[in-house]
Amino acid sequence: MPKIIIDGKEIEFKPGQTVIQAARENGIEIPHFCWHPSLSVSGNCRLCLVEIEKMPKLVISCSTTATEGMVVQTQSEKVIAARNAVMEFILINHPLDCPICDEAGECKLQDYTYQHSVGESRFTEEKNHKEKRIELGPNVMFDGERCISCSRCIRFCDEIVGEKELTFIKRGDRVTITTFPGKKLENPYSMNVTDICPVGALTNRDFRFKSRVWEMAPTKTICSGCARGCNIDLWTRNNEVLRITPRQNEDVNSFWMCDNGRLNTFKHVNANDRVSGPHLRKEGQLIKCGWDEAYAKTLSELKSFAKDEIAALASSSLTVEDTYLVSKFVRSTLNMKNFDFVRKVVAGSGDAILIREDKATNAKGFELMGVEPGKSASGGGLKFDEIISHIESGRIKALILIEEDLIGWNPAFEKILSKLDFLVTISTNFDASTSFANVVFPASTYAEKNGTWINFQGRIQRIRPAVTTIEMERSLDGMSQSRWDKFGTDFDSWGKAKKNDARPTWKIISGLASAFGTKYKFTMAEEIFNEIAHTNPLFTGLDYDVVGENGVQLKTETVKKKVTI
Amino acid sequence: MEKIVLPEIENFHQLDVYIQNAGYEAAKSAFTQTTNQIIDTVKKSGLRGRGGAAFSAGLKWSFMPKNNDKPKYLCVNGDESEPGSFKDRQILERNPHQLIEGTIIACYAIGAKSAYIYVRGEYHKWIKLLQKALDDAYEKGFVGEKMKETFGTDFSCNIYVHKGAGAYICGEESSLMNSIEGQRGYPRVKPPFPAQNGLWGNPTTINNVETITNIPPIIKKGWEWFSAIGEPKHPGTILFGVSGHVNNPGVFELPSGTLLTDIIYKYAGGVIGGKKIKCVIPGGSSMPPLRGDKLEGVKMDAESLKAVGSAIGTGGIMVMDEDTDLVRVLARIAKFYYHESCGQCTPCREGTGWMLKILNRLVRGEGTSKDLDLLITIAKNIEGNTICALGDAAAWPVKFMIARFREEFEAVVKDEVSLEPKNKVHSMRHTANPIAPVQV
Ligand SMILES: Cc1cc2nc3c(=O)[nH]c(=O)nc-3n(C[C@H](O)[C@H](O)[C@H](O)COP(=O)(O)O)c2cc1C
Ligand code: SF4
Ligand code: SF4
Ligand code: SF4
Repeated sequence: MPKIIIDGKEIEFKPGQTVIQAARENGIEIPHFCWHPSLSVSGNCRLCLVEIEKMPKLVISCSTTATEGMVVQTQSEKVIAARNAVMEFILINHPLDCPICDEAGECKLQDYTYQHSVGESRFTEEKNHKEKRIELGPNVMFDGERCISCSRCIRFCDEIVGEKELTFIKRGDRVTITTFPGKKLENPYSMNVTDICPVGALTNRDFRFKSRVWEMAPTKTICSGCARGCNIDLWTRNNEVLRITPRQNEDVNSFWMCDNGRLNTFKHVNANDRVSGPHLRKEGQLIKCGWDEAYAKTLSELKSFAKDEIAALASSSLTVEDTYLVSKFVRSTLNMKNFDFVRKVVAGSGDAILIREDKATNAKGFELMGVEPGKSASGGGLKFDEIISHIESGRIKALILIEEDLIGWNPAFEKILSKLDFLVTISTNFDASTSFANVVFPASTYAEKNGTWINFQGRIQRIRPAVTTIEMERSLDGMSQSRWDKFGTDFDSWGKAKKNDARPTWKIISGLASAFGTKYKFTMAEEIFNEIAHTNPLFTGLDYDVVGENGVQLKTETVKKKVTI
Repeated sequence: MEKIVLPEIENFHQLDVYIQNAGYEAAKSAFTQTTNQIIDTVKKSGLRGRGGAAFSAGLKWSFMPKNNDKPKYLCVNGDESEPGSFKDRQILERNPHQLIEGTIIACYAIGAKSAYIYVRGEYHKWIKLLQKALDDAYEKGFVGEKMKETFGTDFSCNIYVHKGAGAYICGEESSLMNSIEGQRGYPRVKPPFPAQNGLWGNPTTINNVETITNIPPIIKKGWEWFSAIGEPKHPGTILFGVSGHVNNPGVFELPSGTLLTDIIYKYAGGVIGGKKIKCVIPGGSSMPPLRGDKLEGVKMDAESLKAVGSAIGTGGIMVMDEDTDLVRVLARIAKFYYHESCGQCTPCREGTGWMLKILNRLVRGEGTSKDLDLLITIAKNIEGNTICALGDAAAWPVKFMIARFREEFEAVVKDEVSLEPKNKVHSMRHTANPIAPVQV
């Protein structure tokens, strides 16, 4: 491989790489605002100027192609002077409203000001003023004064989404961002601009003013919005999820995620309608009860039906671990055949960027594990449609419904569920389906448990707990903690975080099984995973550490199952 | 004295008069030569661009890739928006056919099938005149498909007049191409240069109107003839547009290397009221100004002006007499570049506004001598660090005007006023070394 010398250090580069790329790959960070690894080069911020031997002027490293033997200085006096100058220029008209700016704490401009600026301004004039608080679209707010005209947001819409929505208008230091006439910033990925905006010019309208960044803790996990499984950070403070941001994974979602995933996949975690503690229906009302009471009731009720009068339906978003135990329980302990998963495919809702038609997170996982959703389960039991029609005709009288709001998904199922003699649900929130339930077990959400999902590509990825429930202590699973979590005391008003009495589905199933006389030895999701890894060749050699933060592509071709997704 | 670009022939702008005077014969002879021969002739003639940078026209043409299937383009730059520059419109008015003929020859030489003549939007009248001439040329078969027959050649090209929308920056070559494409007039990052990646990503050559208008005579009379005119290193005639405090302002076509004092006193009629000259900007408002007491012996060509610390630019000579308030002049020049900065890159976007604010303060009598040094530093921080040369164009007048006329500026500043910085930002640079890397 050819080599260049950066700051006296010889490094290899791939032909065609620019100086900034070569440097970055070798751990040398050249400061930059407008350059972004996934966007075209615009060369406008001028912060990445470097000195290259035999070149008369400083050049921008983002657009200079590395050539064999090139000698680059990123820390010479000339370069530092130019960097100071660019920082000074950017700051002269910057409002410096860090104290009230959402970006503070994760702002490139703030960080660079500490690292690359002289710390004092020679600017004694009146600053320019521009419009603030402009709604560019339903999800993004723009502050003209904070904008440093880097054009990242424009390039994102043009190049990644392919929707020309944003543009610069005016000239010189009057330049500002706006949407094209008659347009809004409302593409399904619009909020990514808030992540790549190096300053607080573009902010997430859902999250604005909710929290200082440093008071939250990010947990590396996976979006629950669809079968893509975008890698995300869940940001929590005081046991509450406040926002989601995408986490780079070039194999899955690059730097991006969709607005729906960002906005609509976490609010239920902190919602008031969370099921906390098991509930039994008494005199028409769901009343909170103890775990043992709920298990006992479920046991006695289920025993009163014949095997073919019972069915189980589970969400296609169960984790691999939950799925393993659920099917073990249903097939072995209950010795039941009528068991299927609820597919959530919305035809036409996908696109060529990230969003998948399949709204469940683990459908591919069932298929690879040998439990094909929508297909007749092994052993000749009924599949989803048949289960429904059997309930309708009264042949199936009892249903175990796992992490799925059937009625919320399709209101037509209200008629079906109302026919049942006995309905037990494992639910995160009270919903339309629980209103027909006789027993409701409180399930942990994806934000409260460990587990794995297998995305549509056959990539296994880990979810991690970001929020604690009563039964799970944060420290056990090595959760990241924010300043508040770490240093808060009982005397702080925010110290009394709300915790729900909820358990991961595998644990609820485990409890139920033991009521039926079957003991599972698992105490952690990880143990279930390890057992699967030992028994299913697809998972050979995997454990939670190996799956890691970025997931592992499974060798799906070793599975002889027909791919139906 | 020979006039190459603006011959003194009555009604030369009319096609029949142009034809009577051997019009379109250069093109005819060009089509009998190979493209390499033509490029070679233009190279040897020593013709240098008249759009500001005085770059060799023949050399520029030779950069166009030869073995490349992509369409190629020629852009003729008539944006002419630099203050003090008003010579190209003389060509559009008085000699449009020579421009059209030069365009055809250039197209042939570089292999372009289409040429765009980009004319400053405010030049309504001149756009009409050029369009009329072009329509006539089309009709007579000198341009377009019919030229094959007229000239007996396989080659044909089309010429389009493109009207600017009123932005100085669209005279910058890559911005001009964006503008033609219907994009915002933003200069492009170079490299890649237009010869590789120009209009719609295709190889493109850009030349000034005056540069192109020089082509037919060079083809007709040969490079030896041309290179013998004026200064050998920058041969030919140059259109000097003289403005300011002179009795007879206007455009004068004179051999390169003509004495600046001759231009002012012999051709432009001397200074109004016989006053002394305080300052002359020799090449359009962005070029470094010269002191009135240092004009003796200054010759008007690229190399001679470089030697005295200025540049030929577009040959727009702005003469300022002894009563001129240079502080206000500089503030006005700074206002122009502030107004015209496209705002794309940081130093120019922010620096032009900052310099203007300080200069306006100086004009109001609220400046300090610290401001003068600050202005020079700002100018130096812009210079060379931007995407296009507008940054330099904005920086040079400030840098050189203050350096060369410091006493004028010292006279308006107070020393005792010392303003404390209003905007302090904090930095850990001096206390701690590089902290955690910043995310993308
Ligand atoms: C800000 C700016 C404005 C310019 N305006 C013009 C112009 O109006 N006309 C022009 O011919 N060249 C202008 N130029 C120079 C062009 O970029 C280009 O160098 C020139 O058209 C090349 O022609 P030439 O080689 O024949 O001189 C400008 C350059 C800059 C940086
Ligand atoms: S809004 Fe943000 S991303 Fe867009 S140009 Fe301004 S600073 Fe850059
Ligand atoms: S594309 Fe799917 S996985 Fe990615 S953010 Fe959207 S809903 Fe979540
Ligand atoms: S130097 Fe000025 S005019 Fe040129 S690209 Fe930069 S901001 Fe625009």
